Amino acid sequence: MSTPLYELRQVERFYGSRKALGLEHLKIKSHKVLGLVGPNGSGKSTLLRILAFLEIPDGGSVLYRGKSALSREEEFRKEVTLLLQEPYLLKRTVRENVAYGLRLRGETPQLNERVREALLTVGLEPSDFLRRQWYQLSGGEAQRVALASRLVLRPRVLLLDEPTASVDVGSAAKIKAALGEARKNWGTTLVVVSHDFQWLYEVADEVVSLFNGRIASFGPENLFAGSWKASSAGGAEYLLEDGQRIKASDFSGEENVASLSPDNILLSEKEPSGLSVRNSLKGYVSQMLYENGSGRVLVRVVVGGHALTARLTAEAVQELALHPGKNVWALFKASALRWLA
Amino acid sequence: MDYIIQGFFQALGFLFEGNEELWSAVGTTLKVSSLSILASLLLGVPLGFLLGYADFPGRKICRTLVDTLLALPTVVVGLLVYAFISRRGPLGELGLLFTLPGIALGQTLLALPIVIALTASAVEALDQRLSMTLLTLGAKKGQLARASLVESRYAVLMAGITAYGRIISEVGISMMIGGNIKWHTRTITTAIALETGKGQFAEGIALGLVLLAIAFFVNGSLSLLRRRVQV
Repeated sequence: MSTPLYELRQVERFYGSRKALGLEHLKIKSHKVLGLVGPNGSGKSTLLRILAFLEIPDGGSVLYRGKSALSREEEFRKEVTLLLQEPYLLKRTVRENVAYGLRLRGETPQLNERVREALLTVGLEPSDFLRRQWYQLSGGEAQRVALASRLVLRPRVLLLDEPTASVDVGSAAKIKAALGEARKNWGTTLVVVSHDFQWLYEVADEVVSLFNGRIASFGPENLFAGSWKASSAGGAEYLLEDGQRIKASDFSGEENVASLSPDNILLSEKEPSGLSVRNSLKGYVSQMLYENGSGRVLVRVVVGGHALTARLTAEAVQELALHPGKNVWALFKASALRWLA
Repeated sequence: MDYIIQGFFQALGFLFEGNEELWSAVGTTLKVSSLSILASLLLGVPLGFLLGYADFPGRKICRTLVDTLLALPTVVVGLLVYAFISRRGPLGELGLLFTLPGIALGQTLLALPIVIALTASAVEALDQRLSMTLLTLGAKKGQLARASLVESRYAVLMAGITAYGRIISEVGISMMIGGNIKWHTRTITTAIALETGKGQFAEGIALGLVLLAIAFFVNGSLSLLRRRVQV
């Protein structure tokens, strides 16, 4: 078996007394696309900074290509680069911004060609942009210049923190296309944090859900946080906006976050009866995405203001004739919910 | 009121006719202030960068000290430098009293806290994303420090211009250390003080106009740079 690109074991990171990250085990394979999802404060950006060798974890080990990252950060940073959510451009021209990393590495032969090539990859015409100053760019253009200054390095690993969050649709499309090029041309491994689920599930080989600094699941997990109350019939109940209730078992009274795998949700066209499942919730289909890693379809169903994700086969989607806007019933057992905290 | 208006027109005459005594004071001011600003930038920028960038024991005390020295009165600097470079002083042998290098020494001491404090503030105010960006592009420690200084270049230039404004407008040091010697150490500000004392308003106003023109140029550059820094 080949050595994974990254292997993290028992990695912990604290900010003051707050534990921002506590991963038991995470492997990232070469040439793959890993998606990271999770709510704000779930540790996604911290994990990216650790993978970028910008932060040293307070505990655990980080192996990069089988070698411990400890005191090799500078060496590894030559192969790994991170694109921040809000890009920072040096107070120089676009050309100097894109060329900066190459100059640091002393890779000056063919510098002009590589800079031009990187700009073209992100959809910026070199003749228009090379001489522009950093303040003469729109937000989307600045993000693309920042991406070009990473792509020009032909990195082994490209880490991206919400690369399309603060840009317009046109820029987002060009960024996505550029990332596809990088993968195709140089086999770059991508680790992407994004709330653009449709794109993420389409391109990612694997998606990791983080919650409270821990891995909640490998894949799009459903999370129900807060407002769990003990039920008179035993277990716990979670009240949805429209009055429907989600029921969970094994409640000790202290837990407040439950997760539910998309594999455990069944969808029905009609209101079911005579079934043993305790959760039968009415909702409507809001979105359907193809999941690259599993080859299945992720169906998002809005139930009482809460979006549930169910993983279905393409055949099932066809048989049920699912489409956005269609009313459905989401079914799952109370025991299928796992308590995270 | 009339004598002021009259003085103003006479002053314009002096300026355009090329009054030698007057232009000598202007030349002396430019010479000595250039020397002072050069010395204070050469010393102040590295020290300010160190103060804003590096973490060392006693950094906070140094910062407080530098900030306190921002309000240093020119006559106190004049007094201290005079004491050091007068014949009886420890640097008396250098013969700096009543010379331009002597004035420049005093003005450098006056400008140094300004350059150090503003450079340190500029470096401290650098966007946190800068160091992260530089590191992700592969910068090593030395390259990170160099690039941080380059990134704060406009703010550092602003520090230099602010310090220059203080240097050309001071009178205490030039008067005490230079002695206001005609054709030799007489600067614009000491000449204005002298001419006003003699009741020669026209000469005073003429020199004042030159000083204002320099100040206008300096402040103009400052506001242009400030805009650039804020982008």
